[in-house]
Amino acid sequence: MDLTYSAAERAFRSEVRDFIATHLPSDIRAKVRGALPLEKDDYARWHRLLFERGWAAPGWPVAHGGTGWNAIERHIFLEEIAAGWAPRMLPFGLSMVAPVIIEFGNDAQRARFLPPILSGDEFWCQGYSEPGAGSDLASLSTKAQRRGDVYVIEGTKTWITAAQWADWIFVLARTDPGAKKQEGISFILVDMRSPGVSVRPIVTIDGGAEINEVHFDNVEVPVANRVGDEGAGWTYAKFLLEHERTGTAGISACRQILEQIDELRERESMTDRRLSERIAEIDIELTALAFTELRVLAAESAGTRPGPESSILKLRGTEIQQALTELLLDAGGPYASASNTRRYYNFRKASIYAGSNEIQKNIIAKRILKV
Amino acid sequence: MDFTLSAEQQLLKDSVARFATDRRNAHGDVWASFAQLGWLAIGAPEGAGGFGGPVETLLIAEQLGRGLIVSPYVAQAVFAGAILRACDRADWLEASVEGRRRFTVAYEEPHARYDPSAVRTTARRDGDGWVLYGSKVRVSDASSADTVLLSARTGGGIALFALPAHARGLTAAGYPSEDGYDVADLHLDGVRVDDDALVAPPGDGLETLEYGIDNATAALCAEALGLCAVMLEMTVDYTKTRTQFGVPLSSFQALSHRMAEMYVELELLRSMAFYAAMTLETENDSFERKRGISAAKAQVAKSGRFIGQQAIQLHGGIGMSEEYDVGHYFKRMTLVERIFGDRDYHVRRYADLSRLTVLLEPVSV
Repeated sequence: MDLTYSAAERAFRSEVRDFIATHLPSDIRAKVRGALPLEKDDYARWHRLLFERGWAAPGWPVAHGGTGWNAIERHIFLEEIAAGWAPRMLPFGLSMVAPVIIEFGNDAQRARFLPPILSGDEFWCQGYSEPGAGSDLASLSTKAQRRGDVYVIEGTKTWITAAQWADWIFVLARTDPGAKKQEGISFILVDMRSPGVSVRPIVTIDGGAEINEVHFDNVEVPVANRVGDEGAGWTYAKFLLEHERTGTAGISACRQILEQIDELRERESMTDRRLSERIAEIDIELTALAFTELRVLAAESAGTRPGPESSILKLRGTEIQQALTELLLDAGGPYASASNTRRYYNFRKASIYAGSNEIQKNIIAKRILKV
Repeated sequence: MDFTLSAEQQLLKDSVARFATDRRNAHGDVWASFAQLGWLAIGAPEGAGGFGGPVETLLIAEQLGRGLIVSPYVAQAVFAGAILRACDRADWLEASVEGRRRFTVAYEEPHARYDPSAVRTTARRDGDGWVLYGSKVRVSDASSADTVLLSARTGGGIALFALPAHARGLTAAGYPSEDGYDVADLHLDGVRVDDDALVAPPGDGLETLEYGIDNATAALCAEALGLCAVMLEMTVDYTKTRTQFGVPLSSFQALSHRMAEMYVELELLRSMAFYAAMTLETENDSFERKRGISAAKAQVAKSGRFIGQQAIQLHGGIGMSEEYDVGHYFKRMTLVERIFGDRDYHVRRYADLSRLTVLLEPVSV
């Protein structure tokens, strides 16, 4: 065990820092700094810049355009993203569907789908939850009926972030209605421009409209768009969720909010002892989580793929995100700005998505503690 | 940075684990064994027969925690060792590594709570020596030490002195603390020492002392890791085997979720035990070192308290029983929370140091 950053790791950190300082467009930086909502074009421009530098996909194998970074380098990269006020990358293509296509897809699928995800030319969204299938995801009822060389998809998916921007959606659909609950589900890639796909925004309590319902009305999808085996979709879905959870710790975003709280305190010359101690408490908790993420990443790059340990990151990461937005609200006192209350309301979703935090506790209890 | 243990580190860990398992429930002086096994050499310079550093200390303390071994390791090897190192006392370090000399540190005072700068014990010049008056409380492992490294206020600031344990005018009131550790309150009534007893000169004493405290705190965080890991393991095992309402306790979601929460706390604690060791390895800047150690101790105290309390709760009545192990782990953890500063103290220290850092460092653009 060697717990020091090597000279090479320190050099890598300055390389990343310099790149962000010189390449991140100032209007995007200003939005992130001011906690303003980003447009599709903002994500696309930043993605493009990272792609051109070869840094768009830190988690991918080098053969497909990944960076080849080890866990420590990925950790450093994320820290610098936060410090440089860069936006997070949208995860749906890069860190959700792509690992599934790489692991379980065929060569034709890799050739068709990976390059535009890497370059940021195609946006993705996730078709998992349904009006009748939330935490109990395996009870989903969207059907994909085989008719020759197409599947006909019928059903409704919901709580879909960024569907309004997406070119593609990956869908869990039931291909064998007679099979047991977790069996008979397939993982299918659907072009959002297919006839029969419609998107309806869901306005959330914070007034935002980044979440949608997507309806599939007899949508025809080539069988070639199914990833892996028919009926094995649940396995791929779980694989994806574990990848998703590693990312949901949201440490960079937390660091940024913490910084904003500190700025608020400085600006308002707050001397409240209780406030500074609450900031310190969350800062410490965040440090502990960041180091835990580093350990999970290190285990991952040592060969083990993200396992149930990623549930810790999801669980505590979202708790800290919520605690931070709460603190931001409290720090503002009676003059809490609308953007801060919006963020507070918005972040209530964090402990619900990607498997609610109660589900994460089930996973930890069952798969780690084996109770 | 690399989280895998080297072959030597794995060997060390295994050897401490074996010792801790064998010595469980055994009492008596472990010091000769520690010296023989080379564990007292950790962190000492090679010239004094030393090897390793904070990571090796972590490995030892974690396993001692797992075995609930009551020993002067943190007080006499880690704490005193770090101070002797900072004072360049290679001769004494060598004697300590070999187990020939035993040092402990006395710094807490009745009014000071955890603050090492709140020193009222005085040392004033007397010819070519010094005379000391005052009181120290909660001194660990004084009865087995031959020398006490003690903080005292001089006209020129805080200094550290090495007092023979049996110096005239020095009285020790020893008592066992509730975790079985050997603790004493010291009273100094005109203790006279020569000039060579001055190990950290006036003005340097506090920084040297805090360096020692931070090293010892990191070791304590590692001990907490061992204690808490065992408490969670015991709780999981117990709830799997204990049957009520015709089913194992672990099948109840209220209990399994609580254990999942304990697991999350344990992993955060583990991270901060590593983080403390990393901080000692990397931070030459004392501000950053203090911040890092306070962050670690604050988290360890919080997670450790939660894990301990829930371990008792989930065991039910048996957890309250003196005969059962889990309560003893809980009691040791309760003291580990407080030794070298509790959560409140370290959160405050962290907050203060963070503000100082903001004030002292130019903001990078």
